[in-house]
Amino acid sequence: MSDFTAVLDTLIRQRGVRGSLVVSAGDGIPVDSNLQFGQDGNRVAALAASLYRKARRSAQAAGLGGTGFMQLEAETGRLCIIGGDEIVLVVVAERSANVGLIRVEMLRAAEALA
Amino acid sequence: MIKASVEPWIEVPLRTFVEDAGVSLALLLHPNGQVLAQYGFSRAMDIMSACALAAAIHVSANELGRQLEGKPFSGMHHAGKERQVFLAEAQTKRGPYIFLTVFDEASSLGLVRMYFDEFRVNLANASPPPPESPEPILNENFERDLNRSLAALFGRA
Repeated sequence: MSDFTAVLDTLIRQRGVRGSLVVSAGDGIPVDSNLQFGQDGNRVAALAASLYRKARRSAQAAGLGGTGFMQLEAETGRLCIIGGDEIVLVVVAERSANVGLIRVEMLRAAEALA
Repeated sequence: MIKASVEPWIEVPLRTFVEDAGVSLALLLHPNGQVLAQYGFSRAMDIMSACALAAAIHVSANELGRQLEGKPFSGMHHAGKERQVFLAEAQTKRGPYIFLTVFDEASSLGLVRMYFDEFRVNLANASPPPPESPEPILNENFERDLNRSLAALFGRA
């Protein structure tokens, strides 16, 4: 059990959420995770952190300032990412999941982790 | 950037790794320090130094692992201020090879480890069986073989 377990447990309880991870932003390595069987946490963490880093840079390059909530829509689900300089919070959800609710919970979680 | 391999079967797995992982330097070598493939190096001298150091680090880390855990360490990562080094072993049908890569903030340790796992599989699948009567590795031939490899990598073969 880590300092992040409670945060991850709160996120995984949301309807349609299939996994949640706290990832080291610079390294792309999972710090803690709550995943369903069959998900490769290391791959999700590495790629999601890379995606978030690039999105942040894109927003900065376009003069849009900091990046808040990021959502990737895929064929059968969504990837929701929120982060800071050191930690990135990743949620893997089904397409039918309530993104608004997930976003609120992720923002709360990010505040708690800051 | 120069991208080359002494043996052609290494080229595709190495190119895939470099492109996917976004690393700035990559080196595949035999545990005896002979270079097999490289990406990003522009001077033969740098490759010679990197190979010698990587082979030495690999053998030291293996021994340290044996002393501490009873088995060799599987990989090594060093994070510098701006650049990071990752070194690990890849098994092929021709035996173990050492892989060294350098990356900066354009990549990450997570990505490098993930794509290295794929590289290791691709390399093992691509490797041909060992020659039936391999040439013995002799100390007196080391420099000749090294020069041959470097000449092949830098188009002087």
